[in-house]
Amino acid sequence: MKDSTASRVFAVIAAAVTAAAALVALQQWLACRPPHDIVVNLSGRDGRPEGGASADIATDLSGTHQEFGGAAASLPGAWARFRGPDFDNICKEGYRLAEAFRDGGPEILWSVELGEGHAAPAVLNGRVYVLDYDESARADAVRCFSLEDGQEIWRHSYPVNIKRNHGLSRTIPAVTDEFVVTIGPRCHVVCLDATSGAFRWGVSMQEEYGSTEPLWYTGQCPLIDNGLAILAPAGPDVLMTARACATGEPVWQTPNPRGWNMSHSSIMPMVFEGTRMFVYCAVGGIVGIAADGPDAGRILWEQPWSANVVAPSPVPLGDGRVFCTAGYGNGSLMVQVRKAGDGFRAETVFERGPAEWLACEQQSPIYYDGLLHAIMPKDAGALRGQFVCYDPDGSLVWSSGPANRFGLGPFILADGKFYVLSDDGVLTVLEQNREQYVALAQARILDGQDAWGPIAIAGTRMLLRDSTRMVCIDVSAAPGESVSQ
Amino acid sequence: MSAGNTVRRRDFLRAAAALGVGGAVWKAAAPAAGATVWQLDPQKCVQCGRCATECVLSPSAVKCVHSYQICGYCDLCGGYLQPSARDRDTGAENELCPVSAIKRTYIEDPFFQYTIDEALCVGCGKCVKGCALFGNGSLYLQVKQDLCVHCNECAIAKACPGDAYRRIPAEQAYLLKTRPEGGNGQE
Repeated sequence: MKDSTASRVFAVIAAAVTAAAALVALQQWLACRPPHDIVVNLSGRDGRPEGGASADIATDLSGTHQEFGGAAASLPGAWARFRGPDFDNICKEGYRLAEAFRDGGPEILWSVELGEGHAAPAVLNGRVYVLDYDESARADAVRCFSLEDGQEIWRHSYPVNIKRNHGLSRTIPAVTDEFVVTIGPRCHVVCLDATSGAFRWGVSMQEEYGSTEPLWYTGQCPLIDNGLAILAPAGPDVLMTARACATGEPVWQTPNPRGWNMSHSSIMPMVFEGTRMFVYCAVGGIVGIAADGPDAGRILWEQPWSANVVAPSPVPLGDGRVFCTAGYGNGSLMVQVRKAGDGFRAETVFERGPAEWLACEQQSPIYYDGLLHAIMPKDAGALRGQFVCYDPDGSLVWSSGPANRFGLGPFILADGKFYVLSDDGVLTVLEQNREQYVALAQARILDGQDAWGPIAIAGTRMLLRDSTRMVCIDVSAAPGESVSQ
Repeated sequence: MSAGNTVRRRDFLRAAAALGVGGAVWKAAAPAAGATVWQLDPQKCVQCGRCATECVLSPSAVKCVHSYQICGYCDLCGGYLQPSARDRDTGAENELCPVSAIKRTYIEDPFFQYTIDEALCVGCGKCVKGCALFGNGSLYLQVKQDLCVHCNECAIAKACPGDAYRRIPAEQAYLLKTRPEGGNGQE
């Protein structure tokens, strides 16, 4: 009993002392000066001026016209727009193309110096069209060359100030027998006569629609559809618009209710359940817009996507699925479009990271024979930079292996072969194969860097470029050999 | 002798002695010919993060350094921003560096400069990885020789999965990146 009382007294004293010590410690703590040099990381501390990009975009798009000594070639073949006649980046002209190169590589028929950038050519009626940037004149220059010898035929230039920002030029013209339409790096749209180069009309999408210029300038390639220039300004009020090529007058406009922004992606036509639509992957989401009839310009379906930088264009798989991909950590998104009553709706089939499934940073995948083909982005783990083949319903079918990486280079499918250009200008020929990676031939074509401009094929002539030079090479199966149809 | 000369001979001797002692100390502290130090080869670095955790010092003697010659001065900087950053600005939610050791400064549209605050950097290499993935590798790690305690057996070298650590001459104690031939800094 006595011991118990002593213990209690001791416990009370101990508790009191502990509490007193705690109070003293707390008092001392509170008396200390709190840290005064903590800086809260808030937005807007980098000194970026209000209003974003500089507004020096106003220019006279009628510009200046120059004639040179070149003449249109009498050569077969056409590649009149980004991703070719069927928007699938597959050349179906039927020419037998090389699966092996002679010693020293294919013959370089001609080459021309271009302004630094990634703008690639379109070919029609023996003419090669490139939207170049003339750094000395500080002007966008729509240049028309002869497919025969690369001699320049005419040039239409308009002044625009572009600073070197991972290249100066970006896009591929769209060409018909009558018109050539271009979108410049700073979102200037110009329509010219395809033969003479005479100015038809022009519009600045930043001025007209309030478009926000994407990072590194826009990579959007224009589309000509039934005499209409289809553009995606993605301004506050207009997501997509059609302008008559002949007059430049707007024919229809699609509102932008979600405030999506312009990406580097280009508009791709798609037909689903008998309805033709334009598919566009903006910064914000993917949208399908009616292409024909009284509904033209109406949003048929849409699906948000949080990718903050989108360069590849959407790839319709033919069954209502649309494959979208982007680099910079964004990965890929598969959307399923379905008929819903009188309209359509879209739903996400899957969204995957770049290390989980097929993704592509810069070029658009090729869908052929039920399989998707692309070069994996730099954040794809072990597959980075490899040319890969994926089953859209499954997983990886094959890859080029760690010894065969291609960077951000372009690729095209022609005559049953993939032609893949690496960053540094080496052209590799691959067998189109459902089972495995089969390399057939390889040759260095260009000596420069950043060979990112998409490849064009017209007849048996292939056009490629690095950051400063465009070359035309002969890729016929045997020199002088022609149509195999 | 000038009447204006106020330096006494005693002061002169003291200064000469101090200079002699200082020189001897400097000579003793200077690396001997053939001396080597640990350094990280940026070409072999796999940005695993162990430089931050394995060093006997805390924070690590390994710091991020920046080659302005290589940098593209991008607005969308893979070394500064989270891969899925919603905005390209200085908000903490957008920053990749866990200790905010990279300062982002607007130069002119559309270019930004990135500088490393060495006092804050812990050498985790997250920015180096981001720059390698989405940029051109201008950010990289180096052992700062003024911080390194020169362990005979470097704890980081022992743990490095990329075998990126090696001994190099102390007279040239850094493995610096330079711009590739013909490059324009915007590869």
